[in-house]
Amino acid sequence: MVNPSINEREPKLERLQLAALCGLMFIGAAFVFSATMANASSAILPWYDQIWVRQIIWYALGLGASAALCLVDYHTLARWSFVAYWATIFFLVVVLVPHIGTVHGGARRWIDFRVFQFQPSEFAKLAFILAAANFLSRPVDELKQRGIFWKGIGLMMLPFILIMKEPDLGSALVLLPTGVVMMFVAGTPKKYLLKLGAGVGILGALFLADILFAPPALQIKIQEYQRQRLLVYFGADFASANATLEQKAEARRLQVDRSYQGKQALISVGSGGLWGQGWCKGDQTALGFLPPGAAHNDFIFSVIAEEEGFVGSILVLTLYAVVLFTGLRIAGQARDRLGKLVAVGVVTLLFSHVFINIGMNIRIVPVTGIPLPLLSYGGSSVLCSLIALGLMQNVHIHRRGY
Amino acid sequence: MLVFDELKKNDPQLRLVALVLAAGLCILLAGLWWVQVVSAHEYQSHLETQAYRTVRLPAVRGKILDREGRVLAENRPRYNLCLYLDDLRKQFDAAYGQLFRQARDMQKQNIAAQEKNLGRSLTKAERKQLAFSTAQLEQLHEQARLGVANDLVAQFSQQLGQPLTLDAKDFERAYETRLALPYPILKNLDDVQIARFEEKFTGGLGTDLDLESARVYPSGTTAAHLLGYVKLDTDSVEGEDSFFSYRLPDYSGMVGVEGGFDAQLHGRAGTESVLVNSQGYRQSENVWLQPEPGHNVVLTIDLDIQHAAEESIAAHQGADARSAVVVMDVRSGDVLAMVSSPAINPVFSENPPAYLNDPKLRPQINRATQQNYAPGSIFKPIIGLAALEAGLDPDALVDNPGYVYVGQRHITDLAAPGQYNFRRAIIHSSNTYFITAGLRAGIDNIIRIAEKFHFGERTGLPTRQETKGNLPSLSRIHSDWHDGDTANVSIGQGEIAITPVQMAVAYSAIANGGTVLWPRLVERIEPQDPASGEVATNFPSGLVRDELGVHPRNLQILHDAMLAETEDPEGTGYPARVPGLRICGKTGTAQVQDEHNRVIDHTVWFASFAPYENPKYAVVVMVESGISGGSTCAPIAHDIYEEILKKENTPIKPRILAEAK
Repeated sequence: MVNPSINEREPKLERLQLAALCGLMFIGAAFVFSATMANASSAILPWYDQIWVRQIIWYALGLGASAALCLVDYHTLARWSFVAYWATIFFLVVVLVPHIGTVHGGARRWIDFRVFQFQPSEFAKLAFILAAANFLSRPVDELKQRGIFWKGIGLMMLPFILIMKEPDLGSALVLLPTGVVMMFVAGTPKKYLLKLGAGVGILGALFLADILFAPPALQIKIQEYQRQRLLVYFGADFASANATLEQKAEARRLQVDRSYQGKQALISVGSGGLWGQGWCKGDQTALGFLPPGAAHNDFIFSVIAEEEGFVGSILVLTLYAVVLFTGLRIAGQARDRLGKLVAVGVVTLLFSHVFINIGMNIRIVPVTGIPLPLLSYGGSSVLCSLIALGLMQNVHIHRRGY
Repeated sequence: MLVFDELKKNDPQLRLVALVLAAGLCILLAGLWWVQVVSAHEYQSHLETQAYRTVRLPAVRGKILDREGRVLAENRPRYNLCLYLDDLRKQFDAAYGQLFRQARDMQKQNIAAQEKNLGRSLTKAERKQLAFSTAQLEQLHEQARLGVANDLVAQFSQQLGQPLTLDAKDFERAYETRLALPYPILKNLDDVQIARFEEKFTGGLGTDLDLESARVYPSGTTAAHLLGYVKLDTDSVEGEDSFFSYRLPDYSGMVGVEGGFDAQLHGRAGTESVLVNSQGYRQSENVWLQPEPGHNVVLTIDLDIQHAAEESIAAHQGADARSAVVVMDVRSGDVLAMVSSPAINPVFSENPPAYLNDPKLRPQINRATQQNYAPGSIFKPIIGLAALEAGLDPDALVDNPGYVYVGQRHITDLAAPGQYNFRRAIIHSSNTYFITAGLRAGIDNIIRIAEKFHFGERTGLPTRQETKGNLPSLSRIHSDWHDGDTANVSIGQGEIAITPVQMAVAYSAIANGGTVLWPRLVERIEPQDPASGEVATNFPSGLVRDELGVHPRNLQILHDAMLAETEDPEGTGYPARVPGLRICGKTGTAQVQDEHNRVIDHTVWFASFAPYENPKYAVVVMVESGISGGSTCAPIAHDIYEEILKKENTPIKPRILAEAK
């Protein structure tokens, strides 16, 4: 009997995505090096204290973690999704408690474990994706029920509110598109989503109008620095109309201070030109105009843009595009709705990060503290990005095999 | 392709998601294109504006030389001991670290003490109150910097053996506004100090000697009024880039030659660009426009004659004499010497000595050009010339009883009573004779001749310090003019006022046969570097302003009479005679009156020219509050003519260009 050899499995891993990932990790290490080694004082640090070395260590740890996760079928993982979800909610609450959470830059987002800073919001995003995928992978007809719809919204809002309280507007914001896209792909009726969209749009516009234009008495209470960031983005005057001359002068000075970071990032990006200044030759970081604290995490893209120019930025965008679109392919080829939802969720999460961070660097989005996945320095961010990509590979590995 | 084969399957939601993703990436792409390619230039210039500073490098100022190339004003290098703040960054940071740790320890102690008092741990809010504010941290930084700077200054103090202080405010201001420039802590080191410094401090530490160019006047106070002075300032001059971050100061001339020829002496400043980091510290520098040195100005002054005149005044009348001397070449109009006493120091000082503002001495006035004086008897030759031109017979005798009446007015004549002809009247300076001659000639003729001499007008010296004097105009003499006024003018009093340089021009005209010249002070302007190939600008000599148009015979009569004044033992100018040189001169004693026409002072003169056979030099000496022209001024003129004779008799030296040294 002829036994046609059925190719039981295609190659296990999505190679193209892995290649793109490796490219991004390489770029990440190289430019964290450039951003942090620019000043002489860091050159004398011992090698294990140097930031780019630490970044490579995180890469290794992350790869290890995602490899470990890939060994387990994602269905098993999904069964634990709600446990993970509630655990992260727990940590999100805990981090808000004064003595346990550490404050850095006016926000209480981390729990200090001595060796590394644990940022629950990053893990919350992952847990949310798994939990939401699990929740939404019920039969499509069930999704038409209003109750289920509102439960889904609740699932999204709980971590959102907790993260907002830290405060961490950026991380909270990325939950929204992730959740909405997952609901959309899952098959929630369009009219629910449209109504939701309209409602959010109106609320958002009112909110912005209130922040920008209303007299102080009627303004909604958000953190001062967040309000200032919005004002800087819209180029609005910091002082209210009836401020005294002194207050106006003070406000103008504050405005210059606050818009400094965004402006410097923009100058960095712009002065890169077509080909850039060359690796480690960027003036903005070397001269300290791009604040050293931000250069290697939130503004790493401007370092890349200055040093490698338009060509470099396109390269980075392409690598992300590869990762995102292979992710979508994985979603399309997933075995079931759970897998599809997980993949779509991860893709949207990553895309939101990329869009907001790069947008912040070129000033089409106000400054928010969002890292660039895999390129920004930050243990939790790297770990979670790699775990998320591991989840996608997981879905790919266990997909239908024809 | 990647995902498109999947999208062909019927999955509208994924398709929409893919589209949104693609759209988002395209937006980013477009934004990046806009910023990095289209607006790249604008951002690059933003970067440059914040990272580059331009520094104006001053040019080397031109020298001022006398006619034989001897230096009257030049630049010498001056060494300043400076702190280079960027090199001291590490020390600043280290000092700050130390101070910060100390402060933090103290804070911890504070907290511990408070907790002990309260018996409990402090709350968050209370801790916050004790935390360091930005203002306090900033103060710590300041303290750290000041500490490091003070330490260095103390070190230098000890090593150089000289007490040095650091002005804290000035240092902070320099740190805030001029971080990239060296900060001087001791200016103008002498050789011993430089040697000590080089011995002990070479090799960094953030300090070094900075070279600065200082304007010096090797001849001290000689010709100070003529030279003027310079002031250190930071303004740009026309023709230079005016947008600089830092302007290193250089000299800008005020009055005198320094002022009048400032544009040529100044040169053109260059530009250096300095790359600074976000705190303002200098990273690297690059000169992109070399400064162009200024030109040398060669004056017509002869330093020997100038020295002789100044020394003579000091010897005869003392350093506080209020006096002026002008020596001119009658054929070319070159000013060979111009002296104003009391002398001043041409080096500008922020705290001038009190005597500069002394209301009586008024040393800052250039008495040769800036002050009006009554000419007194030295005006008589001009009157005489006018009278001769109007038909006076020089041999006609005028009876002088020792006085003369003009209308009701009695005017005394110091000359002894007797008969006077022209020659005798000049020798003895008879008022009666000249008043009579003047009245007979008529004020119109007098004024017309005086206008030919261009009294009452500036002589056009390029040194920005000249008064016009006063000559009654034709309209003035035709309205409400009396004989008494004519009488006054005839003896050089009343409404006539002149400056010594005007007199020198007038006597030169008498001497050279009737040509009124424009006096020339600057001979030429030449480039500092003879190898530069640039051509010097020569100022033409012997520029004619006017012709007297008088009979040569009348001038000859005047020459003879004035010769007798110095050669005749009875002549008032006898003290001026120099053996071997025939000098023609006229003394003068003018009365200075107050508002009530009471005589309060005398201005004495001696105006002359020599040699009689072929006049070449005119010397005018004026002394305020003198006794008489003959006793006060003539001896000074004597010394000057001695010097002139000496020069005439020594072999001619070749011209020395200053560069050859």
